[in-house]
Amino acid sequence: MKYFKIFFGAVKNGFKKFGENIALIINSILLSVVYILGIGLTAIISKICGKSFLDRKISGKEKTYWNNLNLKKQPVEKYYRQF
Amino acid sequence: MYILGISCYYHDASAALLKDGKIVAAAQEERFTRKKHDTSFPINSINYCLKSQNISVRNIDYIGFYEKPIIKFERVLSQHLDMFPLSFKTFLSSTPSWLNEKLRVIKKIKKSLKYNKDVLFIEHHLAHAASFLISPFKKAAIVTIDGVGEWTTTTYGVGNEEEIKLIKEIKFPHSLGLLYSTLTAYLGFSVNNSEYKVMGLSAYGEMDKNKNPYYQKLKKIIDVREDGSYKLDMSYFVYHYADRMPSKKLCGLLDGPVRKNEEITKRYKDIAAAVQLIYEEVLFKILNYVYKETKQENLILSGGCALNSVANGKIVKNTKFKRIWSQPDPGDGGTSIGVASYIYNTILNNKRNYVLSNPYLGPKFTAEQIKDFLDRNKIKYSEFKDEKEIVKKVANLIYKNNVVGWFFDGMEWGPRALGARSILSNPCNPKMQDVLNLKVKHREKFRPFAPVVCEDDALKYFECDNPIPEPTDFMLMVYPIKKQWQKKIPAVTHVDGSGRLQTIRKEQNHLYYNLIKEFGKISGIPILINTSFNIRGEPIVCTPFDAYKCMMGTGIDYLIMNKFLIKREENQKHMWDSEKNARD
Repeated sequence: MKYFKIFFGAVKNGFKKFGENIALIINSILLSVVYILGIGLTAIISKICGKSFLDRKISGKEKTYWNNLNLKKQPVEKYYRQF
Repeated sequence: MYILGISCYYHDASAALLKDGKIVAAAQEERFTRKKHDTSFPINSINYCLKSQNISVRNIDYIGFYEKPIIKFERVLSQHLDMFPLSFKTFLSSTPSWLNEKLRVIKKIKKSLKYNKDVLFIEHHLAHAASFLISPFKKAAIVTIDGVGEWTTTTYGVGNEEEIKLIKEIKFPHSLGLLYSTLTAYLGFSVNNSEYKVMGLSAYGEMDKNKNPYYQKLKKIIDVREDGSYKLDMSYFVYHYADRMPSKKLCGLLDGPVRKNEEITKRYKDIAAAVQLIYEEVLFKILNYVYKETKQENLILSGGCALNSVANGKIVKNTKFKRIWSQPDPGDGGTSIGVASYIYNTILNNKRNYVLSNPYLGPKFTAEQIKDFLDRNKIKYSEFKDEKEIVKKVANLIYKNNVVGWFFDGMEWGPRALGARSILSNPCNPKMQDVLNLKVKHREKFRPFAPVVCEDDALKYFECDNPIPEPTDFMLMVYPIKKQWQKKIPAVTHVDGSGRLQTIRKEQNHLYYNLIKEFGKISGIPILINTSFNIRGEPIVCTPFDAYKCMMGTGIDYLIMNKFLIKREENQKHMWDSEKNARD
């Protein structure tokens, strides 16, 4: 009985790992497609239009790098949002 | 009214419970899971908070989360878009956790806790800034600096009674915290963990700006304006699209690749000194500008960078601020307290009625519980009659150069051991640093050990600001040790003559206070070495079991838990090999 338990336990773990590996492969394929089609196309179009998503440039002309924030108390409903 | 604050999924997950505006329980998840800087949902911390008040989740009126996940996800997507196709690898590795975990916070909270009310989300830097609400100040300037929140990396604003207004910000990818972390990675230490090692190492490098060759080099990578605002030259960094931080260009600038296991040479020490110098320079510029803008004499400093105790100790001298305050955990762990306080005081308009002066907010164990643990495990111990006996015996043991594990009261809130889960020893013994390293800590030789001194004695031994800032109680300030004492307490005197001291006030922890005073009576110097009760790479101990296990696997000579004294030699069963387990 003990050996059966060990055997089936090992089989179960093996299947679990196999499943995880399959999920990893499928995830990677799907995410690659999303990356190339979603991120890639958007990035290319944005670059053509001159839009950048991160402010990476240093112009040297700006007097200050502080940005206005003005973050203060808001109506409670706004705190229920995740954005 | 009960409010639960939660912080998780980045680093240092934690939970904090507020009862009618007062923090009644708070703890980091790592202490329960024994996984340092654990990021996972803090279910153990939450359970502890609820259990400590004998309540269930049904009694919780509000739950607050320490950031706005969708805004953060927007920033992550922006990084992928802007850095296409270089961001491919990080997109594959990070997206599953966003889809499965980080964007499902509400579901996770409701499912894990069986909670059916709404969850409130507060901006990350607002959760940092909210430490103002538990400070002793009614009005103060607030500065938050960390790696990155949603988009923000640095902010400043003003706190007034229950209101907080953050006025300006610096946005990702420009980050003073990430600059420091990048150099931490370059020096071969782990990011979001070992920044304090760079701070300790900097004292060995050249701190004269004109003589340090790397200071001028590193100045090239950051453009700082007179008002302290700054931008980084991103060609020296890759953290905005890769799972590494320094770029090849930065390695070229610093004359070599990222350090792996090489010995720490003068070059590395000078690089550590240079980044510390730059950090301090930018920090003081920011603070001076904020003073000018806000006209406040009180300062709240928050965010992970507020753990830079070397810089903190210089703030009063280098700026016009007269008083400074940080909570014991100014980093991400501390935001669970911030979000809970913000909901109670600011959103719900309740008057402030609490100041965080006592950091012992974690699990505590009664004498009966500890006795039960010792008896059940057949551990040999002796029992003290009263506190006087404890103080006398332990002070004598420390004076005779024993290393003592000190386990009392509720576990400390924050990353520092503050006299509830501490290892104490004799600072007058010049060999004690080596003894501690050999017996217990197994840590790098360049890292100093910290002194603890009673608040009323601090000015005699240390060149502290006067009045002594409260963050000194939480080991957040480094000050020079007065020259005449440096040779008398060699084990806590860093190479530059400084010490990261903890001051203790009698009302905070009278037993700990009395112990230090008693040691002073015997040795002539009322100062002890206070180092965290753990080995390198492990979180600080939480339970009696953790403490006993740590003692038995190391060279700690005695463990005092409540009124029970355990001698390691009398309990020879080794439960683990601490040397083998020591890691970063």
